[in-house]
Amino acid sequence: MRRLVILALLFGAMQLVLPLGASAHGSQWLLTFGFLILAAYSVGELAVVVRLPKITGYLAAGVLFGPSVFNTVTTQAIGELRPVSSLAIALIAYLAGAELRWEEVRKRGITIVKILGAELLLGFVALSATLATLGDRLPFLQGTSGASRLAFAVIFAAIAVVHSPAVVMALLSETRAGGPVARTTLGVVLVSDVVVVVLFSTVLAIARAVVPPTGANVAGLSLGIIVWELAGAVIVGALLGGAVALYLRFVRHELVLFAIVIAFFGMVIAQLAHVETLLALLTAGFVTENFSRHQDGEAIRHAMERSAAPVFVVFFALAGAEMGLRQAAMVWPLLLPIIAVRTAALWAGTRIGVRWARAPRETRDVWMGLVPQAGVAIGLAAAVAQAYPVRGSQMRTLFLAVVAINQVIGPILFRLALNRRGEIAGAAGEPTPVQPHPAIR
Amino acid sequence: MTDALILVLVVAASYLAARVAFEWLARRFVIVSGAEYLLLGILLGPQVSGILSRETVESFAPIATLGLGWMGALLGAQLVLHRLVRIPAVLYRVALVESLLTVAFVAALLTFALWVGLEVTRDEAIVAATALGAVAVASASAGVAVVARQLGRRTPVVRQLEVSTATNALVAIVTSGILFALVHRTPPGAGRPLTPTEWAVVTIAIGVVGGALFHLFVGEERKVDRLFVSLGGAIILVSGAATYLRLSPLLAAVCFGAVLGNTTRNRAEIVAALERVERPLYFALLVLAGAAWRPSVRAWSLVILLFLGTRVAAKLGAARLAARWNGMLPLLGANWGRGLIGQGGLALAVALSYLYQDEVPLPNLVFTAAVASVLLTDVLSARFVRSLLGVDLLDARPAPAPAEPVTPPVATGAG
Repeated sequence: MRRLVILALLFGAMQLVLPLGASAHGSQWLLTFGFLILAAYSVGELAVVVRLPKITGYLAAGVLFGPSVFNTVTTQAIGELRPVSSLAIALIAYLAGAELRWEEVRKRGITIVKILGAELLLGFVALSATLATLGDRLPFLQGTSGASRLAFAVIFAAIAVVHSPAVVMALLSETRAGGPVARTTLGVVLVSDVVVVVLFSTVLAIARAVVPPTGANVAGLSLGIIVWELAGAVIVGALLGGAVALYLRFVRHELVLFAIVIAFFGMVIAQLAHVETLLALLTAGFVTENFSRHQDGEAIRHAMERSAAPVFVVFFALAGAEMGLRQAAMVWPLLLPIIAVRTAALWAGTRIGVRWARAPRETRDVWMGLVPQAGVAIGLAAAVAQAYPVRGSQMRTLFLAVVAINQVIGPILFRLALNRRGEIAGAAGEPTPVQPHPAIR
Repeated sequence: MTDALILVLVVAASYLAARVAFEWLARRFVIVSGAEYLLLGILLGPQVSGILSRETVESFAPIATLGLGWMGALLGAQLVLHRLVRIPAVLYRVALVESLLTVAFVAALLTFALWVGLEVTRDEAIVAATALGAVAVASASAGVAVVARQLGRRTPVVRQLEVSTATNALVAIVTSGILFALVHRTPPGAGRPLTPTEWAVVTIAIGVVGGALFHLFVGEERKVDRLFVSLGGAIILVSGAATYLRLSPLLAAVCFGAVLGNTTRNRAEIVAALERVERPLYFALLVLAGAAWRPSVRAWSLVILLFLGTRVAAKLGAARLAARWNGMLPLLGANWGRGLIGQGGLALAVALSYLYQDEVPLPNLVFTAAVASVLLTDVLSARFVRSLLGVDLLDARPAPAPAEPVTPPVATGAG
């Protein structure tokens, strides 16, 4: 009840304030940011009451207060808050890398690679085939044939296989889960980010050669560029991680500030060096965690989690606000087969991978943690829209609708899997919890 | 993006350097200053090197606004009624008289100077001069805090200076807040125009509602992380709402902080959470304030000189008069106002919030005056206090009544 009162008060206050002022000096940015922190956090806690993940609540808050429903968070405000999303993605990548411990990679590496290989390959092929079959029914495939149809179908499939480390990390932190399903899912989504980025870059480069974009950013991607984007990201990330480890060893002051600076610095350096931002920060987190003393690595991770808390709440709320409910409603008959095929491919691919790796039976539930999609997927869709303004934009609209649905059902499914396997702290068994995150605790 | 990177790196590096050097400098040379950050901002800004473009500085305005809000909230959180009532009333009387006389004197003299010298309308002159009065009254608490720490005990002058710097801060913020309400124009299409009184009430209401929301939000929660998220959200909302409505984020945040300070059971945790972020934000605020500086297009040098001279004279004269009228002259000495000459972040904060008001007269002039005053006096603020106390220590007498020390209005750096 208290949460509902807060939401009513916040909403009422915003309705009173918004008509009386005018945006200047980023004031609407600040107002919306503050509103979203409190409103999304409240909805997140309401979600817990009805046994849903907090993230689902944050997303729901975004949908509720975004342009689709109440429009308290306007499209303009979402645009102004975009840097917050970029920062959040950088923080997520760094934290994700910091979660990867070398011993763990060695221990579960083969299982992770086999599960990932099976589900990615199956998903990619099945989705490409489905899209090619749907053909002219899909707006972005209308009027295409042969190679061009296949090219666009493959691009869509390369984006659609993306998972969401952010959601997985957040949910694991919220539930303090740490059993085989939790650890394997985390490993798969983290490694998949790297693999998917490589896959996407390659597919886009080939597509550009087959169907050259017209009137758009036509700077083609050569193999050298792709290699640099990936290898350079590892180099930049390793240097950054090394620098952080040195700082932690010799200075170790003001870690909360330092954590934000690292994320921001890494993000900008990656952009300046034209390397893959996510991979660079993921590497930085990995190097810091594995090349500094245990207490130092833990200290910076805690500091980053603390400073990232409000940023994450707003990030998920913004992702919710950006979901095009109306667009989804218009294309919903097309969504069903795509989502069904993706989910089935995840289910089947994971089972194949688990059997192939001879992993424990319970890890067959990992597929449920692979359903959610968030920031990275949206970012890749934006890259396609930039490369192919017309068809790419149509593709993005459809894809955002897919993301919207996966975003809602994904966290619920994953929580269900963790619960079923007794991996949630307080549930059956004695899981080793991953670091709880303050924003979603 | 490169500009932003430079800004972040500069702030972070200088902050960390200061973090290491801060205590040592304060101990060894009695220097407590934020002026170097201000200077750094000016050097990086579009007026000097141009490393930070005007657009970059503008894009970071929300951070500066958040810095203002944070500063105000921290000040407000320290205004705890049950502590304040234990301080002898005479200290408040002296402080309040000194503050009001300073505002009145500076505002009156500069109204005349601006009206005659710059050929602006009378109303414009009054508004700009009142803003200068609000800037002038603010004095640095950091110097007092450092010297008091060195001294190891609280003499009557130290107690008076602590009460006075806190009162100065409040008077500066309230004056600027009321000024913004007075000059406020309702945006077109917003329905019935609100009166200045209504705008003043709205400013206070933003803070009070923010405080109430925070209580509802946090409940009895004592976990620092959760407190931090809620506190951050509430301050961002309060300062964002005030700025969006063209009102004073400082005043709204002070009200918010005061509500928290007086109604919560988690005061210590809240102040700890506020202080944890205050210093980085404070330094960022100083650098951004420096970068935002633009020289006035008017013949401003003389006005600035006049402001600086008037302010020093007003502080010394008003302090002496206030002490005399309240029978405190023998205890405080004739020159105790010297301890109030130093100006720090608060003066800049008041000036910056004036600069962010789009429809006020002579914003660059007011801001330049504040910048000049801080650059000239901040570094020396602790020395002013020490020179004053060096004399005072020889014949230090007991305070009029036992009183609990007043916490400086804002943490060390932000005086």
